[in-house]
Amino acid sequence: MSKVPFTSRRAPVHHYVLAVILGAILTIAVSVLVGVSNPGDFWLAAGIGALCSAYPAMSLGARVFVSNNTVTRDARGEQSVELQWMRQAGAGAFLDVLVATIVAVLVLVIGRFTVDALPVLLGLVVLSALDAGVRYLVIRYRALK
Amino acid sequence: MKNNLAERRTGRNWTQADLAAALGVSRQTVISIEREKFDPSLPLAFLIARTFDCAIEEIFTAD
Repeated sequence: MSKVPFTSRRAPVHHYVLAVILGAILTIAVSVLVGVSNPGDFWLAAGIGALCSAYPAMSLGARVFVSNNTVTRDARGEQSVELQWMRQAGAGAFLDVLVATIVAVLVLVIGRFTVDALPVLLGLVVLSALDAGVRYLVIRYRALK
Repeated sequence: MKNNLAERRTGRNWTQADLAAALGVSRQTVISIEREKFDPSLPLAFLIARTFDCAIEEIFTAD
């Protein structure tokens, strides 16, 4: 395997090829898995599975084979204020999601409602991501204003 | 912690970006330290002191 200068910001061509191959293999594996779990509509399910998994799978391929050659490690990233903001936002979002989950469980139990798990789980994912993002922006705004 | 980082920086005619580049941190980090909204880690405080050729306690003082 050839060594690339750290500052070149280019990986050897075969690293890009390996990244695409790994991404494609993972995408196909996930799409087949999703398709098999929905035998009534295999190709539609497999297509949706492929659409959902292609980006993360290709990203993983790039992370494994390309990033080491193209991304300069932030030597003092641990000491930057952004890390503190992210930790504060993440901690706050965790508590928000925990409280929201407890409230939702209480409402469902007391009201004896029955809901599908999938929309609830998707809602939690969206809530946690939005919450952490908004909290980060608010903390950043307050720190820099 | 209180600090006189802004005075020392302007005394050298450095911008916040210049100091951030010298320290290897983001400009937001320098801004937050100068506004006393972020206490730097001990290694970063040592680096700041070394950058300005002085002791840590000459830049940072307890509230």
